[in-house]
Amino acid sequence: MSPGPRWFRWSVPIFTLVLVVAACGPAATSPAGSAAPPASTAPSAGASESAAAGGSAEPSAVTGATCASGATEVKFWTSHTPPDSDALTNIVNAFNTANADICVKMTIVPGAETDVAKLLTSIRGGVAPDVYMADRFTVPQRAAEGVLAELPADVAGMSNDYLPFAWAETQYQKKTYALPFDTDARALWYNKDLIQAAGEDPAALDISKGPPTIDAVTKMADKISKKDSSGNYDVMGWMPAGPGAGGNPGAFDQGWHYTWGFVNGGNFADLTTCKVTPTDPGVVAGYQFMYDWAKAHDPQKVARWVTTNLPPNPPAAQNPLWTGKLAMSISGDWRIAEAAKYAPTGHYGFTFIPVPKAGDKGATWAGGWSMALIPNSKAQDQAIKFMKYIAGPDGQKVYTKESTHLPTLNALLSDASLFDPLHKQFLDLLPTAKNRPPLPVGAAYWDALTSAQGSVELNTKQPKAALQEVQDAVQPQLDAVGC
Amino acid sequence: MAVAPAAIKPKRLARFRPGAIERRNLRWGLIFISPWLFGFIALGIFPILYTFYLSLTRYSGIKAPTFIGIQNYQRMAADPLFLKAAYNTLYYTLLAVPVGVVVAMVLALAMNRKIREVAVYRAIYYLPSILPVFAISFIFVVLLNPGYGLINWVLSAVGLPSPNWLGDPAYTKLALVMIAQLGAGQFALVFLAGLRGIPVDLYESADIDGAGTWQKFRSITLPMMTPIILYDLIIGLSFGLQVFTSAYIITGGGRTAAGADNSLLTYVFYLYKQAFQFGQMGYAAALSVVMFVVSLILAAAVFRWANSWVFYGGEEA
Amino acid sequence: MATRDLTDTPRPIAAAVPKPPRGLGHILTVSVLPRIILIAAAALFITPFYWMIVSALKSNQELTKFPPSLVPGAWVWQNFVDAVNYIPFGLYAFNSFVITVGITIGAVLSNTLVAYGFSRIRWPGRNAMFYICVATLFLPYPVILVALFDIFGKLPSFGLQGAHSWVDTFLPLIVPAFFGNPFYIFLMRQFMLGIPRELSDAARVDGASEIQTFWKVILPLTKPAIVVVAIFAAVAAWNEFLLPLLYLQDSSKYPLAVGLAFYTSQHDVAYNLLMAAATLVVLPVVVVFLLAQRFFVEGITVGGVKG
Repeated sequence: MSPGPRWFRWSVPIFTLVLVVAACGPAATSPAGSAAPPASTAPSAGASESAAAGGSAEPSAVTGATCASGATEVKFWTSHTPPDSDALTNIVNAFNTANADICVKMTIVPGAETDVAKLLTSIRGGVAPDVYMADRFTVPQRAAEGVLAELPADVAGMSNDYLPFAWAETQYQKKTYALPFDTDARALWYNKDLIQAAGEDPAALDISKGPPTIDAVTKMADKISKKDSSGNYDVMGWMPAGPGAGGNPGAFDQGWHYTWGFVNGGNFADLTTCKVTPTDPGVVAGYQFMYDWAKAHDPQKVARWVTTNLPPNPPAAQNPLWTGKLAMSISGDWRIAEAAKYAPTGHYGFTFIPVPKAGDKGATWAGGWSMALIPNSKAQDQAIKFMKYIAGPDGQKVYTKESTHLPTLNALLSDASLFDPLHKQFLDLLPTAKNRPPLPVGAAYWDALTSAQGSVELNTKQPKAALQEVQDAVQPQLDAVGC
Repeated sequence: MAVAPAAIKPKRLARFRPGAIERRNLRWGLIFISPWLFGFIALGIFPILYTFYLSLTRYSGIKAPTFIGIQNYQRMAADPLFLKAAYNTLYYTLLAVPVGVVVAMVLALAMNRKIREVAVYRAIYYLPSILPVFAISFIFVVLLNPGYGLINWVLSAVGLPSPNWLGDPAYTKLALVMIAQLGAGQFALVFLAGLRGIPVDLYESADIDGAGTWQKFRSITLPMMTPIILYDLIIGLSFGLQVFTSAYIITGGGRTAAGADNSLLTYVFYLYKQAFQFGQMGYAAALSVVMFVVSLILAAAVFRWANSWVFYGGEEA
Repeated sequence: MATRDLTDTPRPIAAAVPKPPRGLGHILTVSVLPRIILIAAAALFITPFYWMIVSALKSNQELTKFPPSLVPGAWVWQNFVDAVNYIPFGLYAFNSFVITVGITIGAVLSNTLVAYGFSRIRWPGRNAMFYICVATLFLPYPVILVALFDIFGKLPSFGLQGAHSWVDTFLPLIVPAFFGNPFYIFLMRQFMLGIPRELSDAARVDGASEIQTFWKVILPLTKPAIVVVAIFAAVAAWNEFLLPLLYLQDSSKYPLAVGLAFYTSQHDVAYNLLMAAATLVVLPVVVVFLLAQRFFVEGITVGGVKG
């Protein structure tokens, strides 16, 4: 048993070579080893027309390249990606220009609404951002975890400037942990061309006619749906629920548990008794609708259509609503900006989310984001100044116009210059909008509801049983933290 | 456990005083293994004890841990996703490991034949195993697309059903197993090295005795390979229980959830989500403790089982 | 359980079976059947890479066409240009390189020493200790993930890589490699056990210290195993995904694995661009492997044939 020595003599230098060449070849194209990102390619300011690829090739901050050297740095994180992040970039750049002594560096840190992984890592590494853009309904939970810092009294006193529901979401144990940023509203989007091609009249869905019934929309959609030779869906009439991108549990677009729960008059929590109520009859009815619709359309065939047309982490341009593979979808105001960009020749409209019975009042729900402060910021004053700017009129105006979301500042709701006619209609939905209960387990609740939705839309669990599991899993967590 | 007593020593060392030898050997033995020993204590035992402690707390990773007794374990009992994750992981492991051993063995046996262009095959098999799993997972997302992916096109062309690999909970784990097999080349190489390590004179004397190919495989190759098969099993099991990256990539980084009906929610994926995405370090620690206990039981079981078939080249076990 | 001396050389096993005549059947089993298996397997193993390259060269419309085209209709080389322009490839590759080299050095140093202690020296408790070591092999690393993250988050890094603790530095990735890894210890110990005991005994009789025996007698014979460990460790380090995902937050510190995965979700990258990026990540490794594999394979063959 004496293995050949030649092998060894050759392999060590070769192996070293492998590593050296593999790493150095490409590394030669950038200043090797310097932690500073190559601040080359896209100038971040006003580069949104180059947007499809993301405004910048930099791995770190996408703003701040033009800051004065003595400026105090404020690190700002968002999980938003283009096109929304382009609007944020523009706001940050405007702030930096107006405040030469402060340099806000914005970084895109992707992740789901409820994902706190990178933030946690950065706090533990002592490299946390100063300002963090948090999904507003997760603020109480993050505050309970100690991830967010309480805001000083002058900020906490701004409550009257904002929509009450948005402000309520920033509170935990009567303290303020974030400033509301945008909000949004959901509606039924439809592709007029596909509806016409199927011999139906898109005018039936005009928003002036009030909310359509679920049955009417389903019937119309089934006429639009087309199957290929092997019996699989090629074009879908509508996707009321899920699965989501890549076949994951959840909503295909905005057909969330909350959407159908609210439409059916459901209550998701009782804040006075500090209980989650996923087995509330309205919530169960929402899940029952998702179950029945999936059953009628073959859950496996629906899932196959989704995984075919919407892979995981799909680019916004590839949304089947823009590529002509989907006629109707529950979606939001931000699609106005996308439609203009990704389907400029298409004809789209939107109306109320369909309701169970004719004559029912329309229901939608509003979410939105917020600006939060991370504990132990070394530039707290500058960070708060930036938060007030971006969550104030200056920031919200730009964001409302460019991203077609809705503002949370009362003063801006009546500013006609911010809304084109399409956008205005979403604004008009806002008074009927409900919002998710601001719970200190909001994120965990969302994820449990999403899991349950995944099972229900594949018909692997009955709605009631799936929701009972949500109750059993989340209520103990809520009991542990308290409201 | 029966351990070879250190007292059994070859007679030829008898001229040293046994006590002195033992002390000397103990000293040097400990010196040589000290890197592992230190790591075992500092990066093994201590973190495990610490995990036990954290599992009894509520801890977000930021605020100081709050002691809550066994609440995390009670919560686990009512957590459907915990059971789902455990089921997914066991299902995957029990499928991927035997398949992996067989694939590696077949490739190694085929490569061990005197075939002129064998170097080409070796390169082709080995290459995928040195490439990152995440890249391979991305490729499979494209390959396995139910609508326009290559694999379903081939399947339907030969008249087979074309499943929804990434969206049908019955098939998603098979996709993970397929991805794992691209790493088989590395194990095949280890197997091949083992095959090459079998003394040629064994085969020569078997040839003289007139043994056929199958007999030689059964009575020489297979017994001589059992330690390597055990090694492959051990690595495979440990890898199987840890599977994460491919599931993470296929589900788009778990940004929404972990695959259709959570069928790709592997145990480590769930642990990762709880600890780092949801900031539930205490609960994740409790999940870790359960994984620790199950791993210990599996380890004991495999070694007990292996005693009945592993051939170490000495006396028959 | 019977006591076994693991250092014994294997005994020949003679199977007394009559010798069959060599003819067509022999050629089939020796040459044709293995080739069929080899070629079929090679096709399966190559397909993902072929598809990666082909997809990288397709336009987005062609990528989603059915049936898929086996060769791109129009070769969109621009995809590669776009991918390079959008991805800080060099930076990620450099990070991968630093991490890989650090881990490889640590793995070779520590595992050789530890395996020697577990195989070439007989000391009371050795086997019990080795069983513990092997048992840790069965412990999936994620069991201690949460605790280690918390511990590393408390260790000071003195400003290394701009972080205040080990979190967001390369330290949690590299340092543990210096404390041995049960996989490699197991592998290398198996190898060292195969070296005849008489060699060590002779060295001791000649008055060599344990270190001299290790360095002059055993290490030269162990080189093939060291290479295997170095390769395995390097490859594992290069491919590692979970740990950099956990410990590294600043994307300028990302290695390729995490960098590319995050980049795609961060920058709205279409799948053809993603495939182009994956091709570029894989390409240097493939090229160097193809250049070097002649020696690599020759080494194994020579070692094996010499027996």
